[in-house]
Amino acid sequence: MTTTEKISIRFQDLSSVRRRTDAVRNWALPILIVLVFVVASATVPEFFKFETIRSILLLTSITGIVAVGMTAVTLSGNLFSLGVTSSAVFSGVIYVWVGQATGSMYAAAAVAIVAAVVIGLVQGFIVGLGLNTVIVTLAFGSIIYGLIAILTKGEVVQAQGVNLEGFATFQIFGIPLPIYIFVVFTALAWFLTEHTLIGRNVHLLGSNKNTARNSGISPMGTTIWAFTAFSLSIGIAAVLQTSQMHQIQADNLPGLTMDVVAAVLVGGTAVTGGDGSPVKSAIGALFIATITQVMVLMSIPEGQRYFVLGVIVVALVVVLHLLRKAGTR
Amino acid sequence: MNTEAPYRLKATGITKSYGAVNALADVNFELKPGEVMALLGENGAGKSTIVKVISGLIIPDTGQITIDGEPVLLSSVRASQTAGIAVVQQEFSTVGTMSVAENLVLGQSNAPAWWSPQKLNDQAKLILARVGLEDIDPRRSVDTLSVAEMQLLEIARVLAKDAKIVIFDEPTAALSDAEIVRVLEAVKRLASEGRSVIYVTHRLGEVFEIADRVTIFRNGRSEPPLLVKDLTVDKVVALMIGRELGHLYPERTEKYGAPVLETRGLKVPGIKGDINLTVRRGEILGLTGQLGSGVSEIMKAISGIADVLAGEVLLDGSAVNLHGRRRGIVMGIAYCSPDRKKDGIFGGISVRRNLSSPWLRRVSRVGFVSRAQENSEAARSASNFAIDLSRLNTLVGNLSGGNQQKVAVGKWLGIRPRVLLVEEPTRGVDIGARAEIYAQLRLLCDSGVGVIVTSSDTNEILGLSDTIATYYRGSQTANKPVQEWTEAALVREVMHRED
Repeated sequence: MTTTEKISIRFQDLSSVRRRTDAVRNWALPILIVLVFVVASATVPEFFKFETIRSILLLTSITGIVAVGMTAVTLSGNLFSLGVTSSAVFSGVIYVWVGQATGSMYAAAAVAIVAAVVIGLVQGFIVGLGLNTVIVTLAFGSIIYGLIAILTKGEVVQAQGVNLEGFATFQIFGIPLPIYIFVVFTALAWFLTEHTLIGRNVHLLGSNKNTARNSGISPMGTTIWAFTAFSLSIGIAAVLQTSQMHQIQADNLPGLTMDVVAAVLVGGTAVTGGDGSPVKSAIGALFIATITQVMVLMSIPEGQRYFVLGVIVVALVVVLHLLRKAGTR
Repeated sequence: MNTEAPYRLKATGITKSYGAVNALADVNFELKPGEVMALLGENGAGKSTIVKVISGLIIPDTGQITIDGEPVLLSSVRASQTAGIAVVQQEFSTVGTMSVAENLVLGQSNAPAWWSPQKLNDQAKLILARVGLEDIDPRRSVDTLSVAEMQLLEIARVLAKDAKIVIFDEPTAALSDAEIVRVLEAVKRLASEGRSVIYVTHRLGEVFEIADRVTIFRNGRSEPPLLVKDLTVDKVVALMIGRELGHLYPERTEKYGAPVLETRGLKVPGIKGDINLTVRRGEILGLTGQLGSGVSEIMKAISGIADVLAGEVLLDGSAVNLHGRRRGIVMGIAYCSPDRKKDGIFGGISVRRNLSSPWLRRVSRVGFVSRAQENSEAARSASNFAIDLSRLNTLVGNLSGGNQQKVAVGKWLGIRPRVLLVEEPTRGVDIGARAEIYAQLRLLCDSGVGVIVTSSDTNEILGLSDTIATYYRGSQTANKPVQEWTEAALVREVMHRED
C-alpha cells in the first residue's frame, strides 16, 4: 500500500515539473543578467557607471541587431546563416564607396542596406528550394569574402573628406544612436513576429514544415521573408559598425557570425525552429556583451575571455535545451 | 529464469485521464513468464494507452507497476528499457541507409565500441535465423528490404536486446497473409524462450493462433484476463463491443441534396482509371482500402496537395482549378492528414494559433493580424469541437491524442469549408474524443459541407458514412450506399479475396 502511494506521488511530481520549466526558461536569462549586474557592481571597480553601461549597450547594439534579424531565419526552421561577417563587411564597403561618391551618408546607407538585402534574398531563394542553410550561407560567405578581397585588393577602405560617422556619433540624452536603433529594431521585430501574417507564418513554418504546407503556407515565400528581415539587419548593423570604425577591411568583424549565433542560442530560441523570439535574442546579445565587458574591466586577457564566454554559452544552451525537453514531454 | 515469481509484470489500479475523459480507469493487467497475452479492444478502448504506460511513453495519474515482484517507476522509455521491456513498433525504427547487421547493434546498451564487420555479420546471421530471415545477407542495406522483412528485422532487434517483456503493437497491420505467418512464428519462438509477450492486434484470428490468454479493454477499463482455449470468436466480440457502440456514431438524416463536390474523369498518379466521385449535401462519403489502395492519393489530389493529371473537380456544380494547397484552401477545401504529428498539427505552438493557422490571412488586413478576430474565431472553433477553452494557450504537443485530433480537424472550421476531407479521423484517439469528432463531422455535413472520410477501420466507415467506396491497389472495387453493405462484404472488398 505504501509503495502504491509513493509511486503515485512521484508520477504526479513528474507532471507538475513540466509546467514550471516554461517559466524558468523565459525568465532565466533576464534574472541572470540582473545578477551579473548586481555582483559586478559590488565587486568590479568602475562597473556601475553611466559610461560602462553605455558601452555595454553600444557593444550589444551591433551584435544584437543582427541576432534579432537572425532569429527570423532560426524561427523559420532554417537553422543559422554562417555568412554574417562577409555580408556585413560587403555592405560596409558599399557604404564607404557610395558615401565617397555621393557625399551623402544617407544615400550611402540606403544603397548599403539594399545591397545586403539583395544578397540575402538570393540566399533565401536557394534555401527555399530546400537546400541546407548552413551550406548555402557558408558558400555565399566565402564567395562574398573573395569578392571583397578582389574589389578592395585587401586594402583598408576609408572615406576622405566626407562625414560618414554621423550614425555612430549622433547622441540623444548622451546615448548614441545605434542603441536607439537596436531597441527600435527589436521592438519592430517583436511586433512583426507576433502581429503580422508573415511573422506568424515564419513561426508556423519552423514548427512543422509539412503541416505549414498543408495549411497553405508557402515554405519558399516564408523563407524568403525570413531572409529579407535577416539581411536588412545585416545592412543596418554594417552601416552602424562602419560609421563607428570610420573604415572597413576584408578581415574585419571576424567574430560577428559566432557572436550572433551565440546570442540567439543563449537567448533560448530553438535551433529546430518554431520556438523563440527576437526579444530573447536581443537579451542574449545583452548578456554576452555584459559578461564580456565585466571581464574587460577585470583586465582578463582576450584569450581567457573567449574561453570563459564559450564555457558559459555552452552551459546555458545545454540547460535551456534540457528545460525545453522537459517542458514538451 | 525467474519462474518462482508468479507474474513477470503486474500493473494495478492504473488510471490516466485527459480532461473529463478517462483513457484508463483503474486498469489491472498481468503477465506471466513465457506467455503470449493478447490485448483486444475497440479503437480508443485503452489498449494503446496501457501499452504506452508500460513502454514509458505515458506517465499514468495513479497506479503501481511491478516487474518480477519489484515495484518499478516507468517514467521514461529509457527506464522501461532498463526494466527489460522492448517494443516492436508499427513504425519502423530501423535506419534505412545502414546495413541489416548494423541496425541490429544500433541502440543496444551492450554494443561494442567498435567491431570487425566480419564478426558483426556472423552474429547478425544467428539472430536473423531466429526470426526466419536466414536468407537475408546481413550486409544488405535496410532500404532494400520488403515491409515484412523490415517488420521481422524489428523483431530481430528486440531479440538482440535480450528483453524480458516484448510488446507487439499491431505488427501485422500492413502485411500479407504469407508474411503474417512468419511474424507469428517469430512471436511463438520468443515465448518459447521464456520471454513474455504482449500482443496488440485487431485480427481475432491471430489471437486464437498464438495467444495463451487475452485481456479485453473496453472504454478505458480492463476485463480480467481470460484463457484463450475457453473462448470463442463470438464471445470475444461481445466482450469487446459491449453495448455502447450504438451511441458512438451520430444518426444519419438520410436527406440528400444537390452535389457539393464532384470529380469527373479525374486522373491521379497511383490510381488506375478515372475517379468519378460525388458527395451530396447531407452525405458523408467513406473511402476505404488497405495500405496502398490509393484512397490517400485521391484525397491529396482533391485537396490540391498532389498534382492532378487530367479531369476536373466541381464544387457546387462549377469546375475549379486546383493547383497547390493554397488554392484549395481559398476554394474552401479542408484537408486533415492521416498522421497528425507529421503534417496535421504544430506540436510546439499553442492551441489557439494552431486553430487559426489555415485562416490567418482571412483575419488579417494588409498583413496585420487582427488579434481580436483571431481570438473570437479560434474560441468558436474550439467550443464547436469541445476543446477546453482554458487550454487555448497550451502547446498542442502536450495534449492527448484525442484533443490533438480535435485541433487538427477543428482548425478548418475557420476557412468556412465547402468540402472537408478527413483521412483516418480517429487514429490513436480516445473514445470520448471519437464521439465528439464523429458528431461534429455529421453536424458539418448536415449544414451543407461535403464530407469525405477515409479509414482503414471497418467499423468506423460503416458507422459514419452514408456511402462507401472501396479501393484495392489503385482501383475502385465498389461504391454503394451503406445500407447495402455488411461488415463481411466490406472486409471482403477491402481484402479483395476471391474466396
